Amino acid sequence: MWDAVVVGGGLAGWIAGIRAAQRGKKVLLVTEGVGTLFYFSGIFVYGDIEGLRHLPKHPYTLFNSEAIAQGQHFVQEICPEYIINETPQSAFTVLGTVRQGDLMPRNMILPDRQEQGRFVLLVPEGLKDFFPEVVIANMAREFPGWQVSAKRMRVDALAEWVKLGKSVSSIDYSAIWRSEEGQRVLAHEIEEIKRQYQVGNKPQEKIVVVLPSLVKEYVDFSRTKPCIEEFSLPVLEMSSFVPSPHGRYFAEYLKHRFTDLGGELMIGARAVSLNQESPSENKARLCQEIIVNSKGKSLCLKGKKFILATGGLLGGGIKVGMARKSIHEGVFDLPLFVPKEWSEPQFFASQPFAQIGVETDELMRPLDPERGEVVWDNVHVVGRMLAHWDPWTQRCGGGVSVTSGYVAAELV
Amino acid sequence: MDSRDELAARLDACQKCNMCTAQCPVAKVNPRFIGPKGLGPDMERFRRGQINLDETMLDDCSNCKTCELTCPSGVKITEMILGARRAASKARHKNTMGLRLGLRGYILGRNEYLGKLGVIWPTLTNQVLKIKLVRLAIDKTLSISKNGPLPAYGKPLKIQPDKVGIGTNTNKQVVYFPGCYTRFNEGDTGRILIRLLEHLGYKTIVPDFHCCGLPLEANGQFGKADKNGRYNLELMRPYLEAGIPVITSCTSCGLTLKEDYPKLETSSAQLIGAQAYDLFEFLWQLHEKGELPLDFQEVRASYGYHPPCHLKAQGIGTPALRILGLIPGVKIRNLDAGCCGLSGSYGFKAEKYEKAMKIGSGLFEAINVGAEHGDFQSMTTECGVCKVQIVHGTGIPTVHPVRILAKAYRLID
Repeated sequence: MWDAVVVGGGLAGWIAGIRAAQRGKKVLLVTEGVGTLFYFSGIFVYGDIEGLRHLPKHPYTLFNSEAIAQGQHFVQEICPEYIINETPQSAFTVLGTVRQGDLMPRNMILPDRQEQGRFVLLVPEGLKDFFPEVVIANMAREFPGWQVSAKRMRVDALAEWVKLGKSVSSIDYSAIWRSEEGQRVLAHEIEEIKRQYQVGNKPQEKIVVVLPSLVKEYVDFSRTKPCIEEFSLPVLEMSSFVPSPHGRYFAEYLKHRFTDLGGELMIGARAVSLNQESPSENKARLCQEIIVNSKGKSLCLKGKKFILATGGLLGGGIKVGMARKSIHEGVFDLPLFVPKEWSEPQFFASQPFAQIGVETDELMRPLDPERGEVVWDNVHVVGRMLAHWDPWTQRCGGGVSVTSGYVAAELV
Repeated sequence: MDSRDELAARLDACQKCNMCTAQCPVAKVNPRFIGPKGLGPDMERFRRGQINLDETMLDDCSNCKTCELTCPSGVKITEMILGARRAASKARHKNTMGLRLGLRGYILGRNEYLGKLGVIWPTLTNQVLKIKLVRLAIDKTLSISKNGPLPAYGKPLKIQPDKVGIGTNTNKQVVYFPGCYTRFNEGDTGRILIRLLEHLGYKTIVPDFHCCGLPLEANGQFGKADKNGRYNLELMRPYLEAGIPVITSCTSCGLTLKEDYPKLETSSAQLIGAQAYDLFEFLWQLHEKGELPLDFQEVRASYGYHPPCHLKAQGIGTPALRILGLIPGVKIRNLDAGCCGLSGSYGFKAEKYEKAMKIGSGLFEAINVGAEHGDFQSMTTECGVCKVQIVHGTGIPTVHPVRILAKAYRLID
């Protein structure tokens, strides 16, 4: 019997699992694949928390501001490189444009635009989907007071890739930057940049090196040799694109945090249904076990609490058949809130389908939307599965996932 | 079949996100490998137009199944690649695969017969295989790497045929599928496992199984693999029909029984998936029913644990850690630092040896760092060849987890 079975290995699921395991609970996390963190930019957005809390059913209305702050601090506790600030911070995207975020790694935060200086963009040879001319033009536009130049570079370890004319994914480059050889190459390049720009007429010029696919965070020294190379100039990370190196290392790091705390990961298994205690009249029901498809057979996983973190329409937690009528939640068959009209003609408008999800009480227990009663007493719904929010226009995806996962873990 | 399964069964479910290639241990070290997405769903479109690939290219896939665990859309990538290899192996005369590689595939797939030969005089075989000149000759003639960690042979595990018949007390019987590695290279593990099951009150039957078939499949011998599967299923049939579980201690044999055998066309194929158990999966089930004795003696030892890829692919979590966690004194760190690189016989091949070592480098580093920190002195993992590769890559002693449990039950020292 597990204290909690978390279904889903995305951001909300991992946060719930880690926090519950940290509280000494016996936790099993069941996930079909590696989850959606491979889409993660490295930046958490929380959105206009106070504004969103005025929307009557937004998930933020389920949490007090203390819980939201606790979730943020929890992220920072896990990854000390993340900086919490009163005001949103800015970072470069891989296109060289500037985006805002509420919680981002220290190494990503852009310098003050009022200052003056020089960005030197390091352009790794053959990096896939990276267009330095576009990046430089965008950086120059975003930072009018700054000089922008580029320096091309190559890494011997990837020479064979380049010789074959094969592009190198940002994931492969990020692995190089984290290796001893990569650190050595970078130190050398940065030294050269320093010589080139500081020896000249402006020795006082502030120089910031910008490097795509660099991920300095989420290093686990219990599994990796420390290779610390102090660079002679500040080096800026850019936010990640798909498949995201930040997401890859973050997911791996969260997995290790979870299992090191005693949590168990069951990957490659899909939760499909549940067994319940025979329901008595007018009482919320208790889920006793969920049924999970492993290879060859079904497993029954007994738990005191179940945390549903399977994602929404895109993550696969909500399934839509060819006819829209067949829309359902895949594990508990929970009742869903579905708006009458699914879409808006304006592409970038807030799309009604984004609001599809499970309505809950303040403990994130699923509600029957018609009767307003709790359906399952020991099931908590977290992350994208919650109804009445839109991560794209409200820009609060990280905030809702982290907070709901954290709060659910406190209820275990 | 729900809508998601339907999509997964069709290759249209692949969204081209490239996460599988980003996670693929082979693509990371081999620029010539087009990766699981390329070799699986992308090429599948060509294959459907009857354009078939050279088998040697398909052969770059190590069959670790990481891509299938990674895919956010449930695409059966390895299954597609294996299907393509099967098709290519039928048209072998048309492709460029050399006689030498064909012969190597024949030999590496026949680990069962090699085992039977090897254990006739294990010390002699082991000594001969240690001679550098011999390894060089094998390398030159068969492209089996002279540096690869070929496992040593030992006192073989004897089969235990069912002399008295199934009888009525079927709930205290199990069939043990030891697999070639346990049978010929590490008979001790098998003997300990049988003693352990006896200690728990189970009669253990070990029929004279053939190799599960996975090494044959991995070396392009699909027909022979299927034949082995059907043969083994026929041996299992009376037990399966009586509801007796089949237990494996090798995670790759276990995966083959659960994933491949149900696809074979025999009557017992329907039963094997649900009745095949990894040893610790079986023991955990006993524990949940309150049938696992907990009279453990304290075992003061710490281990690093490596979850084999083919355990992960079974979708059962890490039951060995759950069971070992019940033993007082035992400390285990689940390293989970990626594929060891050996992948059955992949890392033995001359052109793949170095890549296999690179694949395993992350795991070796995690083991070395953990050992230096004093987190553990030895390693434990269920898979025999992972074990061989870990010892080869780090020199850290590595044992099957059943030994730790047997120690706690005072069955071994």
